[in-house]
Amino acid sequence: MSDDHFPAVDPRILRAAAEGCTESRILMNRRHMLGVSAGFFAWAFAPKFAVAGSSTDPRLLLVIIRGGMDGLNTVVPFGDPNYAGLRGGIAMPAASTIQLNSFFGMHPSLTALGSLYGAGQAAVVHATCTPKRNRSHFDAQDNLETGLPADGNTTNATGWLNRLLTALPSGDPIRVGGAVQVGEAPVVLRGPAPVLGWSPTWFSHVNQITTNNLLGVYDAVDPGMAGYLRRGLTADALAEAVDPNGGSEDISQLRKAFRGAARMMRVDTGPRIAVLSVEGFDTHVDQGGATGQLATRLAELDGGIADYRTEMAEAWAQTVVVCVTEFGRTAAVNGNLGTDHGVGTVALLAGGAVNGGNVFTDWPGLAPQNLYEQSDLNPTTDLRSIFKGVLQDHLGVPKTLLDETIFPSSASVPVLQNLIRSPVSADQIAKSSLVTATAKTKALRGKMQAGWSAPTRPVDAKSAAGRRNLGGIAKYRQAFPEA
Amino acid sequence: MALTAAAAAKALLAMQRFGLGPKPGGIGRIGKDPLKALQNDLNGSAAISTSGLPTYAQAAVAGQNSFEEAYAYFQKECQARFSKQLEPEVGFLERLVLFWSNHFSMSAWKSNTVLGTIGQWERDVVRKNVLGKFSDMLIGTMRHPAMIAFLDNENSMGPNSPIGLSWGMGYNENLAREILELHTLGVGAGYTELDVTNLAKIITGWSYVRGWEADNKWNGGNQQNRGQFIFRPDWHEPGAITVLGKSYTQSGINQGLTVLRDLAIHPKTAEHIAYKLVLHFISDSPTPEMVNPVKTAFLNSGGNLKSTALALIKLPAALTGTPTKIRTPYELAVAQFRASKVTTWGDREWAVSEPLRALNHMPFERQTPDGYPDETAWWLNPDAMTIRLDTAQLFYDVFWWKTAPVPATLGAQLFDVALSAQSKALLAQTTDKRNGLTSLLMLPEFQRR
Repeated sequence: MSDDHFPAVDPRILRAAAEGCTESRILMNRRHMLGVSAGFFAWAFAPKFAVAGSSTDPRLLLVIIRGGMDGLNTVVPFGDPNYAGLRGGIAMPAASTIQLNSFFGMHPSLTALGSLYGAGQAAVVHATCTPKRNRSHFDAQDNLETGLPADGNTTNATGWLNRLLTALPSGDPIRVGGAVQVGEAPVVLRGPAPVLGWSPTWFSHVNQITTNNLLGVYDAVDPGMAGYLRRGLTADALAEAVDPNGGSEDISQLRKAFRGAARMMRVDTGPRIAVLSVEGFDTHVDQGGATGQLATRLAELDGGIADYRTEMAEAWAQTVVVCVTEFGRTAAVNGNLGTDHGVGTVALLAGGAVNGGNVFTDWPGLAPQNLYEQSDLNPTTDLRSIFKGVLQDHLGVPKTLLDETIFPSSASVPVLQNLIRSPVSADQIAKSSLVTATAKTKALRGKMQAGWSAPTRPVDAKSAAGRRNLGGIAKYRQAFPEA
Repeated sequence: MALTAAAAAKALLAMQRFGLGPKPGGIGRIGKDPLKALQNDLNGSAAISTSGLPTYAQAAVAGQNSFEEAYAYFQKECQARFSKQLEPEVGFLERLVLFWSNHFSMSAWKSNTVLGTIGQWERDVVRKNVLGKFSDMLIGTMRHPAMIAFLDNENSMGPNSPIGLSWGMGYNENLAREILELHTLGVGAGYTELDVTNLAKIITGWSYVRGWEADNKWNGGNQQNRGQFIFRPDWHEPGAITVLGKSYTQSGINQGLTVLRDLAIHPKTAEHIAYKLVLHFISDSPTPEMVNPVKTAFLNSGGNLKSTALALIKLPAALTGTPTKIRTPYELAVAQFRASKVTTWGDREWAVSEPLRALNHMPFERQTPDGYPDETAWWLNPDAMTIRLDTAQLFYDVFWWKTAPVPATLGAQLFDVALSAQSKALLAQTTDKRNGLTSLLMLPEFQRR
């Protein structure tokens, strides 16, 4: 088993090239917009929530970091007197970080995010966690994505973003544009509202005439298949519309996913909400400090955010990216120079609509008596508070809807204020443009294996890359207790 | 004797729903009596006789030696099973193998131990018992290094066992939990957390011989049992232990074997398995009318899987109605080869594995032990549809272009008169083999089951 704990540069591209295919599907024969309903285009004057958010056409990208990202080494509280002692061999001195203020510093891998912070377009919320405060990947991710209270039953519950789509007034641009899942279907989008789907692959597209003829057969004999294929084609068309980089650069699947998400979201007719997942943050062993495993994963995430910001162009001004993780890690380093599952951690925000340059935290301190269960950073902000702040001030979602529907029984969970501001000007956007660091990507190359090659992510049977699917028999038994 | 449209539709349903898809002329050959064809399919052999595949001992050793050795066997096993799946006329037996393999789903990438032995496990445990007793398959799986390693039972010790006491070590409940939750009773069957921990204690000492144990002759290991399952008596929790209200007083490994035999024929296990079979093969919404006859057949035969499979295809819902489910990506890959008469991927393995990876259905790669889901939504969604479309064309470009038939001709051979008027017209109007055959592979008749 290779030790690569990060996505290798996509071996498919190399293989495709060897087979005479072009580098990436992004360069393939373009699909045009197919079967897009008129509603897609007729929304400029559509009704919205009574009170709008600060942007006229807001976008939200939710990045779910799976595996439990270590908040204490992602945004380092070097000013806390107990930090260095707890972290021992993986402690990061102030000088090795991108200093945000006299107390906190960002991990040096987060170069793009650091410069966005400096430009007032990125922010940090520290000491946060899901209400469940559970150290199981499955339970904590389900809790994060269903938006339920700590005691909520997450079995087959809908996702909070899907409930948002369902609750929006019909004709609301966000609802019309809809949401898109990038890669695997996340629980946060599960529910009745239809969702687009797209993932970065390199396969050549079938030409439009053939596709249309096939859709004709589906329309006549299998409308279900027709609907799914149309939505998939729409997502492809949006994601692949333009490729300003010429597509010749080797980039990882993750970064392709970020780019694709931006291409869909920046156009007038595209979805306004996207979700993508990043994996490989379960750093039990050899986590590293300024370099090493966590550093590599953060660099990849940072590259993705940089690509996304570049691709969004002027739409960046009206965008918020929220990066959250299911839980943090133990305050102390473990015996394997790693960290184990903990609770309190960090959330990262970026975008032209973010009230940037701020660390939002009610810092609990790392003294032994201040740790959660004598073990972890004590979470002082409920993750739902962050989501509520973004949904209320960026998307204009009314508080009652937030308290009762999107995050049920959460009236006592306050809305985190001041996360959002009026969109920055085009001038400021231009000033924060980022140079994509290709050298960083090149350092991320893994070994290519032909055929049944190993997956490009670390495998840990306990990691929640896949999701447990246990609802079936339990539901049947509830429905037919006498059977 | 030409088939009626209804007879052809029924034959196609049998081929799609319970088989691996028609070969040219197949519908005509089974059209008279599709149910009989499914029953006959079970008279075939599930054994794979490909040369170069490892014995249990060889696979076990490879799993301890190196990634390269384990991986070489893994690739051979994947290829051998795929070739085997191209052989039968219908493929119901092969579909059952896939079902049971997924029931005890493991990820090959957990460790070299799993990677090196998982193919051998499927051949020697699943295939051997696919029409035999469920208890044999269950026990064979739990006594296999692949499952012991995948669900972390190798270091599980009884806290009161001699070694547990002297090392201050305890048990790991991973495997025990999944046995109850996934492999036998199923969620909502009424077992408790205490049942889980008690079962975990009962299977303490169920382990396998790690390479370093064989090399140093530690913990009962030696070069003869290197990598193989081992029961370590001095790791086993002593004394009687209760599961589901019954006290198990046997000693050593017999305690666990007895519990597994009881679980294997438990009514809740029968219901869980019957439910899963109906869900996988027939409908996303199994009803008691569908589940109960299968459950009864399982119980009445003491967990005989042939009786259970025969009850499944005799259900009124089995060969009627329109298909509401869609082929899984792996079934689709096999079906493409069967339909096109392409017999091997040669050195173009990637053109099979890349689509499967993009569609999240690589064999032996489900990370969680619940196995790949059976709900249609998992396989029929916007992203999956475009990838199915693009990779149908990829199949043509990589494997089919040299031997490509006329689309309309192949359509008639594959679907007989079960083809809808619209599908027939589409194939008839194509002027280009690439577009026509890509479309054929995407027809509802080819995708749905």
